Amino acid sequence: MRVYFFATCLGEAVFSQTALNCIKLLQREGVEVIFKKDQTCCGQPSYNSGYYEQTREIVLHNVRLFKEDHPIIVPSGSCVGMMAHDYLELFEGHKAYEEVKNFSLRVYELAEFLDKKLEVRYTDLGAPIKVTWHSNCHALRVSKVIESAKKIISQLSNVELVPLQREEECCGFGGTFAVKEPEISNAMVQEKIHDIESRQVEYVLSADAGCLLNISGAMAKVRSKTKSMHFYDFLAQRVGLGV
Amino acid sequence: MTHTTTHSDHDYEQVIGEKLNDAQLRTNLRSAMDTLIHKRKDLLEDRYPEWEQLRTMGQNAKLKVLSQLDSYVQKFEENATKNGFVVHYANTAKDANEIIYNLAKERGVERILKGKSMASEEIGLNQYMKEKGIVAKETDLGELIIQLIDEHPVHIVVPAIHKNRHQVGKIFQEKLGAPLESEPEKLNGIARKHMRGEFEGFKMGISGVNFAIANEGAIWLVENEGNGRMCTTACDIHVAICGIEKMVESFEDASILNNLLCPSAVGVQITCYQNIITGPRQEGELDGPKEAHIILLDHNRSNILADEKYYKALSCIRCGTCLNHCPVYDKIGGHAYLATYPGPIGVVITPQLFGLDNYAHIANLCSLCGRCGEVCPVKIPLPELIRDLRAEKTHEGRGVVRGYKDTKHSKLEELGMKAFAKLASNGTLWRAAMAMSSTFAPLGKVFGHYTPVLKKWLRYREMPKVQGSLHAEVKKLPGVIYE
Ligand code: SF4
Repeated sequence: MRVYFFATCLGEAVFSQTALNCIKLLQREGVEVIFKKDQTCCGQPSYNSGYYEQTREIVLHNVRLFKEDHPIIVPSGSCVGMMAHDYLELFEGHKAYEEVKNFSLRVYELAEFLDKKLEVRYTDLGAPIKVTWHSNCHALRVSKVIESAKKIISQLSNVELVPLQREEECCGFGGTFAVKEPEISNAMVQEKIHDIESRQVEYVLSADAGCLLNISGAMAKVRSKTKSMHFYDFLAQRVGLGV
Repeated sequence: MTHTTTHSDHDYEQVIGEKLNDAQLRTNLRSAMDTLIHKRKDLLEDRYPEWEQLRTMGQNAKLKVLSQLDSYVQKFEENATKNGFVVHYANTAKDANEIIYNLAKERGVERILKGKSMASEEIGLNQYMKEKGIVAKETDLGELIIQLIDEHPVHIVVPAIHKNRHQVGKIFQEKLGAPLESEPEKLNGIARKHMRGEFEGFKMGISGVNFAIANEGAIWLVENEGNGRMCTTACDIHVAICGIEKMVESFEDASILNNLLCPSAVGVQITCYQNIITGPRQEGELDGPKEAHIILLDHNRSNILADEKYYKALSCIRCGTCLNHCPVYDKIGGHAYLATYPGPIGVVITPQLFGLDNYAHIANLCSLCGRCGEVCPVKIPLPELIRDLRAEKTHEGRGVVRGYKDTKHSKLEELGMKAFAKLASNGTLWRAAMAMSSTFAPLGKVFGHYTPVLKKWLRYREMPKVQGSLHAEVKKLPGVIYE
């Protein structure tokens, strides 16, 4: 099977190691990965700020770039929410709608793809560990892929998942929200950190680069003892890939 | 708070900063919201296995009426008139206030008692009456508390939720001369005693409306304390203020919506008082008002109705659960929105009612987490509508929200977003930008030239580590088709 891998803008800029691990996770299942060198961003920053015309240009770039009939695998429930759901909304009544729809129907979040399409079965190779989990809002409510990630974690026999009390509450990232309303955003992320620290785990995991950028950046600032890790880095380690 | 003044970004920054630093407020809100969220959740799990179907039915009941609101309003008017109600139409807030004032003046009324009504807040009734020399007194416990300290409701269902019982005790001590108490029962006792005195011999009562039933010409009022029943029955003249969107077709539809309202609002199956009012006192009846009036308030609702998407916001049954679940609302509280209606639904309707130019900043008060849309009992797509509001600001939306033309928005942001879109739709430019902005790639890229951004980000967060060039690494990976 051949798939496109869309690293996302944060995957390209900050989480490049994660992006590599994602590719390896796919290859491990015998999937052939195509990486388009002209890939950019899903367009969420401009979309959520209300720049609809501008965003349509980005959407069409993506639609035309990933044009073959392969699944498009994205390691972010947030970008998947944008690409599989919001793209359609943005192009409702537009002449390119069918083209966009053909694209949107092929978009999968990585955990969703591993779990539902490839039906992976993992053997945990790591030492016993306690972790907690932050659900990205769009992954939870728009693309609805959190369940798959959790199902995969449950296959890791040495991993104890301690739920957060406020798992489903926004961490305060919200793309441009974090810089438009820095004070409110900070109040939100501090509440999240408080929750994370009270769980007494080694790591907080999330499958979303935006949230992690926010949570880990704020945790570093307050010198939190809990570490954060991208879910796909964690997974790669547990199954003996990754670094 | 006046509705006609423009609220600048600076006003918002100031009030938000103030509220965020108010530790007491934050604690009160957090615990109140947690209670409301958990009560709702437990109730739905225990008693409402078919909540999703009920939501769809409720949504349909509202959308059906909204699709032909004119004719339902007309039907309501006919039937209500037959029942003996006097039906008035108010196009603006001023119209509504004048109708009430004139009714009071003609009958020599100097003191009006009010049940809870957000519509009356929307039109600024209390202030208007005060200026005309008429006292409008709140009778709802929460409303009473905040009226005593000259505040506005902080929440659309629980107006004084930002005050805890100790604070309420102090307010009663200071303003009503009561002994200092903090037990809920004792506080209730103080309020009851005070209200009993107020209700004695009062002539005119004002109420809101939860559902206006077109087929029957009746109104349905939901409350918990009995004060609403007093306000609507123990007086000579009862005036109900009813936003035209409160219309439903039948009792059946109203029942469906009531079944959604009570669990969503306070996590109970039904409230203590459900008042269905079919008109003034009839011949031979022992109680009820001699006159019953209904004011059908438009106040820009027709504009909302005219838009292909925003009209859905008129389905709102004012349950307040979107506020309870909003991660922004629970941090800053309702007053920081500088508007009558706070929280997600407030963000959506405030600019439509009072002009986006007056409320440009309000659209920022949302991280688009989507939780409000998930819990809204009538499935209003609140996040989508908030995003559309932002598009109105940038002039890339439908151009339908009042005052959007004069709305200020950041030119810097516009430049940044335009640059971003240009890069993100061109692979070569994008790669070049990525290579260049190696110091702080993600935000540098996302916001283009919007430079103050970095500073704002770093105020509360460390700089992320940039991990180098993904492309070079991918090319090295065996088996990857790099094209
Ligand atoms: S928008 Fe929905 S959740 Fe919010 S108050 Fe209205 S009905 Fe309730």
